[in-house]
Amino acid sequence: MSKEVDTDDRIFKRDLLSSLPNLRAFAVSLTGRHDKADDLVQDTIMKAWANQKSFTAGTNMRAWLFTILRNEFYSQMRKRGREVQDTDGLFSERFSVHPEQYGRLDLQDFRKALDKLPDDQREAIVLVGAAGFAYEEAAEICGCAVGTIKSRVSRARTRLQELLGVSGESDYGPDAGDAAITARAFGS
Amino acid sequence: MLDDIEQARVMSEDLGTKNDMNIAQTPEVKPGTASPNASISRKLRDFYDAVQEEGIPDRFLDLLERLDQAEKNAKSVEAK
Repeated sequence: MSKEVDTDDRIFKRDLLSSLPNLRAFAVSLTGRHDKADDLVQDTIMKAWANQKSFTAGTNMRAWLFTILRNEFYSQMRKRGREVQDTDGLFSERFSVHPEQYGRLDLQDFRKALDKLPDDQREAIVLVGAAGFAYEEAAEICGCAVGTIKSRVSRARTRLQELLGVSGESDYGPDAGDAAITARAFGS
Repeated sequence: MLDDIEQARVMSEDLGTKNDMNIAQTPEVKPGTASPNASISRKLRDFYDAVQEEGIPDRFLDLLERLDQAEKNAKSVEAK
């Protein structure tokens, strides 16, 4: 019996560990900053560890962890009230601290745009579009209907397109430029 | 567990799990062009992957080691 428990224990820890990069990226998406995200991940690890027994082995560990982190995020936000709303000034200041992490200008722009989304839309598009969850899983994590997630994702996409001024072809600026250079270099 | 953590330290950059779900929605797109949705999806994944590829900060590996150790200590006390 104890052998079986040990194995579950090991699997739990291993899965927790392998979920961390994804979980942390979700935390960064929610909070908008690395330091706060890492505090949130730390709280989530502690909670998950303390509640190991309530996790059903063989079920979706990642969804379970994301649910804990999300609940933790919103309960902390309720407790503290929304802290300083981000302004462009604050944002550039915070990201100049880690230029190597956001070296790419378009990523910084994207971050700014993502930060301007309402919380419910941001989490929906991140869960479905980046964290690798199906609509059904995202709905479970957010505690809402699948249809709600779908409409949030769709509104988030529209809003991001507006914010980033994406209108299709023209967006492939750098790639189109590269293509032109390539064409010049190799063209006859 | 300790072995797992060591392994994670070494391989943390490989742990950024890629998923193939919801890959850019690019049906009916001519080569060389991108639908606005595909472009948003790509940027979102680029951003997210950039964070994932940072790997696992040491503070979390240290935390897990401490939790693991505390659990072992508790177990050995129980056993006595």
